[in-house]
Amino acid sequence: MRRLVVEDVSKTFGVNGTAVRAVDRVTFAVDAGEFVSIIGHSGSGKTTLLSIVGGLCRPTSGRVLLDGTDLGGLDSDGLAAYRCEKVGFVFQFASLLPALTALENLLLPLGFRPGRPRAEEGEAKARELLGLMGLSEKAHALPSQLSGGQQRRVAIARAFMNDPTLILADEPTGDLDEETEAEVMAFFRAMNRRRGAAFVMVTHDLSLAAQAGRQLRMHRGRMVELASPANAPQLAAAAEARRGAST
Amino acid sequence: MAKDFTLFSHATRNLRRRPARAAILVVAIGLLVSVLVFGLSFVRRVESSIRATSERLGADLIVVPTGSRGAAEDVLIEHRVKTFYMDGSILDRVRRTPGIERVTAQTYLATIGGKCCDVAESIVVAFDPDTDFVVRPWLEKKLNRRLQRGEAVVGAESAFNIRLGLMDVDGVLFGNVFHIVGVLEKTGTGLDTAIFVDEKSLDDILRGGKVSVAPGSISVVFAKVTPGVDPKRVADTLEDTIIETDTVARRDVGKNVAQALSDIARMFLATFAVASLLAALLAWAVFSGVANERSREIGLMRAIGARESHVARLFLLEVVLIGAAGSALGMLAGTALSVLLARGFSLLANVSTELSALDRVGIGAAGLLAGTAICVVGALSPIRRTRRIEPLVVLKGE
Repeated sequence: MRRLVVEDVSKTFGVNGTAVRAVDRVTFAVDAGEFVSIIGHSGSGKTTLLSIVGGLCRPTSGRVLLDGTDLGGLDSDGLAAYRCEKVGFVFQFASLLPALTALENLLLPLGFRPGRPRAEEGEAKARELLGLMGLSEKAHALPSQLSGGQQRRVAIARAFMNDPTLILADEPTGDLDEETEAEVMAFFRAMNRRRGAAFVMVTHDLSLAAQAGRQLRMHRGRMVELASPANAPQLAAAAEARRGAST
Repeated sequence: MAKDFTLFSHATRNLRRRPARAAILVVAIGLLVSVLVFGLSFVRRVESSIRATSERLGADLIVVPTGSRGAAEDVLIEHRVKTFYMDGSILDRVRRTPGIERVTAQTYLATIGGKCCDVAESIVVAFDPDTDFVVRPWLEKKLNRRLQRGEAVVGAESAFNIRLGLMDVDGVLFGNVFHIVGVLEKTGTGLDTAIFVDEKSLDDILRGGKVSVAPGSISVVFAKVTPGVDPKRVADTLEDTIIETDTVARRDVGKNVAQALSDIARMFLATFAVASLLAALLAWAVFSGVANERSREIGLMRAIGARESHVARLFLLEVVLIGAAGSALGMLAGTALSVLLARGFSLLANVSTELSALDRVGIGAAGLLAGTAICVVGALSPIRRTRRIEPLVVLKGE
């Protein structure tokens, strides 16, 4: 079943009076329960594409459909509801509200939903997710009392609070150590299997991208190369060789 | 049991992040509201006193010697000790004026300390029990008889009474011993501090020679007009026909004080308007800073599903909390000022009427609403600006 369909999407920004096409006629689809990674250099348009798919900004042309709903037909409140109820975001930066504890940061998205669950249910779910992230003891800690890695894990847990059908992760393990990175990826895979949500992960780390079921590659705003489990090791090796040659 | 995480708890958490900044705005709003509450209390208290006086004197017209209108109002409204006299024949001339139904006269004597009297700085009011309609309604029921020669009743705030309910005691007035037999109910007029005797006792005082007032003199004539007759027209007739008197209609009692009060009220209003503008500008500056400082947080909230209205409500709640806290502080401070500084203002020190609980609640509510509203108005522009912050800013890094 097609969960996410991106059709011929382009995005043009005006920079110093010059039009810059950040995303150029990109088309792809993601099935329910599928885990897709998008790789590419900095400035290749990965994050812009992710923000269009997540309803953070609108494409200049083309359309995005989630479960058959065209995001282009949604107004500002409709997009907010889409982001709240359908999408779980893991941003490149830790992105916690500094005045709220870890637990409250997780409870925050529940308050944006029209039919919010009872306080007990919401808190139980938040504590469960914190537990899965190994942060049970930090529920009442403020972000300033958490390490960068712990903040990142709280933000990851928050993405799952509203049972989204689409998880969008932008460099989700950017500032994590190897052990925590492995734990987070295991958590992603477990949630992907257990909840059947579609995952789209943007990364420039090829080894991380290789852990996805399917890889897409972006270059200068275009989706230039499709990778699969079969050819991923070769792509990773080629990328490693390019890195070695450049140093 | 889990404690619900609400918009309110989010707003209070945000305010606690920068307690000094929130406190400055709270204090600014508090100062503004205290000025408002103090001003309203001041004006309202004097207005109430004037109204109470005009209503409780029970007369439609008050006739006093020419040029003594201000002095009469000082005695009747502000319980100042002043005397003024006119010939007793004026009582009959007033009585004979068309449109007059009833008249009664009072004569005022001023006590002085030392050998003359037990109490200094009080007005002694001599009235005619046969015609009186001013003092009688104030008499407590327990004195269910006429006042006798050598007897006196005192106002609720008289130096003789001083709220201790002293009765059946003797006091010396102008060398004559008077038996205090009763205390008048509190009237809210300047006569609450006076000592009341009948006309026969006045004769005894004058015979004693310790006060120099011409026999037969009176200070004021109170008149009721015939039902259906316009008191103003009768007052005009009296002024035209008895040129040695001034006549004050009931609705004009305290007109001079009211005029002065109106000027004071305008001054308060101007001060309050300027202070409001400053407070609104401060709210604007503070919340503009807050909006800029939190633009990434707002973007984050929007990115994870907050509607524009949700963000605006959060900011509005913070503004309202600050405005309400400042207003509550201002209400307390303004009320305390109006009580503590009352003696420093002669208009307040000399009026008898206290503000009713209803007045206090009304003034408090006005202060609360005004303080909160000014804070909200000041912060409106920054709040609107938060609605324009796009969720995309969350992707722009730290």
